[in-house]
Amino acid sequence: MTPQLSWYLALSAVLFTVGVAGVVIKRNVIAMFMCIELMLNSVNLTFVAFASFFQDVTGQLFVFIVMTVAAAEAAVGLGIIIAIFRNRESLDVDDASILKL
Amino acid sequence: MLALLFILFAGLAVGCAIAVVAQRNPLYCAISLIGVFISLACLYVMLAAPFIAAVQVIVYAGAIMVLVVFVIMLLNVEQEERRRQRLAFLVPAAVILAAVLIAEVAFILSSVQLSPVTPTQNVSDVGLTSSIGTGLFTTYLLPFEITSILLLMAIVGAMTLARQAKMLSPRARVVPGAQILALNVIDPRLPLDDTKALEASTTTEVERLLAIAHDHDSTPRD
Repeated sequence: MTPQLSWYLALSAVLFTVGVAGVVIKRNVIAMFMCIELMLNSVNLTFVAFASFFQDVTGQLFVFIVMTVAAAEAAVGLGIIIAIFRNRESLDVDDASILKL
Repeated sequence: MLALLFILFAGLAVGCAIAVVAQRNPLYCAISLIGVFISLACLYVMLAAPFIAAVQVIVYAGAIMVLVVFVIMLLNVEQEERRRQRLAFLVPAAVILAAVLIAEVAFILSSVQLSPVTPTQNVSDVGLTSSIGTGLFTTYLLPFEITSILLLMAIVGAMTLARQAKMLSPRARVVPGAQILALNVIDPRLPLDDTKALEASTTTEVERLLAIAHDHDSTPRD
């Protein structure tokens, strides 16, 4: 018995749901950031699964682009996190609920 | 055999993902997230995508997570403390909505015919580095270029966000709320020197320094 496409899609859905739950539950900015990375990865799994089962390389190309966007997000996001920490001495999102500094 | 491997790596991925959410220490979250990335890379290998698997390990588990762990240790994040529950009245509503959502998913899964596609057994070049490179530089050249511009913007944005005000060029003269003045602004007779700068914490201090500069301008005429 070989893994079906639906297995991968189900795994991806579970990972995405866990990521969404993490973004909702967590209060630490860095932990929320990591949950967003988790969601991006679950979408990547969907892309690769479709690319493999339909024998089309396009899905893998978009995984590549998603990884680039994730790297850019990591750089800018962590810069924002450092700026917030410098201003508020805290990483709790409740302490940064207004845009004013 | 493949099914066993899938169950192993999928279980590892889900377990590590739940650990990411359940842990309170951000560093343990990061380690669990690396576990998710590694097990996903193994799944990519099973899906005949070795290049993506390698990039997953190098870029995600290597570069991005090193950056995250670096920031966690730099900021010396303490564990989340337990807090009183806010908005407790929303819990029953959340349970009801979750039940509705699960019912919807079950309905969709039962009514939609699951995809009958099975993996073809013939050897193809999908997933090889050369085919990905060919697609990236021919059909999808525009997204590739846009990605490079995005990376450039991210570099500039990260530098702008993370730098401190003290690292501004001393040549910057009167920026609103200026804190740093080049010495030759205050005294024009001083030689141009980029390495020394005066620092004033308040706007009034800046004004005082500027007044000194005006005095120097006016003294030779008198």
